[in-house]
Amino acid sequence: MTMKKILEGSKLTVAVEGRLDTLTAPELEQALEPALEGVETLVFDFASLAYISSAGLRVLLSAAHVIDARDGEMKVLNANKDVRNIFDITGLTDALGVE
Amino acid sequence: MSLIEVRGLKKSFGSLEVLKGVDLTVEQGERIAIIGGSGCGKSVFLRSLELLEKPDAGQIFIDGQEITAARGGQVDRIRRSMGMVYQRFHLFSEMDVMDNLCLAPVLRKLMTREEAEKKAMGLLEQVGLATRAHAWPTVLSGGQQQRIAICRCLMMEPKVLLFDEPTSALDPTMVGEVLAVIRMLAKQNMTMLIVTHEMNFAREVADRVLFFADGGIYEQGAPSEIFDSPKREKTIAFIRKIKYFTFDISEKRFDLMAMQGGIQGFVEKYGIEPDRVYPLQVCSEEMVVDFLNHCFPDGDAADVHLEISHADADRSVIIQIASGGKPYNPLEESDNFLAVAIIKRTAQRTDYRFEQNRNQLTIVL
Repeated sequence: MTMKKILEGSKLTVAVEGRLDTLTAPELEQALEPALEGVETLVFDFASLAYISSAGLRVLLSAAHVIDARDGEMKVLNANKDVRNIFDITGLTDALGVE
Repeated sequence: MSLIEVRGLKKSFGSLEVLKGVDLTVEQGERIAIIGGSGCGKSVFLRSLELLEKPDAGQIFIDGQEITAARGGQVDRIRRSMGMVYQRFHLFSEMDVMDNLCLAPVLRKLMTREEAEKKAMGLLEQVGLATRAHAWPTVLSGGQQQRIAICRCLMMEPKVLLFDEPTSALDPTMVGEVLAVIRMLAKQNMTMLIVTHEMNFAREVADRVLFFADGGIYEQGAPSEIFDSPKREKTIAFIRKIKYFTFDISEKRFDLMAMQGGIQGFVEKYGIEPDRVYPLQVCSEEMVVDFLNHCFPDGDAADVHLEISHADADRSVIIQIASGGKPYNPLEESDNFLAVAIIKRTAQRTDYRFEQNRNQLTIVL
């Protein structure tokens, strides 16, 4: 898994590439913790994300809690069909702002 | 007496014992499908009935006459009551269809040329090739040639037809027309023994299915018994054609990438639909990790076994996870509700049991 962060004012875009699973989710979690400081709009660009498991979903949920707490907005963009299906079957599509 | 009776038939090729004492009784009008893996002896058995393979031991009775004890012309006379259809059609290429059909009965003085032609036309009409009576075999398709080859057998008015993989040399587009002819014969109550790889055909046409393995009839029964509820291990494996992927985990910090790569390779190797990869990987990861977290709370040592099986017959894919440690059903007890949701919404069926001191979770996709 690799990620690219772009901060524009209070908007952070995180492009994640590869797999977000039990092994790699902790890396994303660690990277997000300091990066979310002052962020009000958080966008995950999953155009190059091939796979997500519940470990990845939990990281997204914690990020959503942080952003919600400051009345910000979170979006998940460009998820492929399989990844989108995981959001759908876990009922997180709306909660995580999956578009 | 039965139409065919085989007692203690044995046949070896060098040190390879192919038939280890086969017994079989076939009644008039029975349709028997013979199935089994390559080299299981099913074709050798069929060929032995006509003495095309000379048995090392045993007796074969055809309509009450013992072909294994017959000599010279007597063998031919008994053989005449059987017709054999081979993979290859063996039509004479320098004769037209009609000459191919009339040759043997006229040569053997069973009928005059006129009678033979009349009979041949009747048979060609039945198999839908009446207009090809004067065609040369080389201009006919494989399926047409095989239909002619079946007619050639029928010209001799055999009491039993033996089919040795009659469709396996054919282009798949031509299999149907040959099977249609065999179906038609089945309806006419012709006694038939058919060595075949066409399982659906065997199920539909046969009264009895013989599964050959270990040098003989390993299991036999009605098609529904053999195809839907086979009893013995090798029959089950053959019918379901199960392929396995296994992965053993002895440390909590296991190589997840190796497991997921192995699943991907398994799917690619066996031509399983590519859209199965994701559900297989995600269900395996979720449950393996959940067992590791709950059943092995102390230290890094773990004992989890993942097995994925795929059955060609119904295209089912089954994940089985066996875990040591305390009894724990992740689908009921896990605090990872996301993992449980993924499993429950992805699986067709799940089953958990604690057996032989191990947690056993089955996920049918």
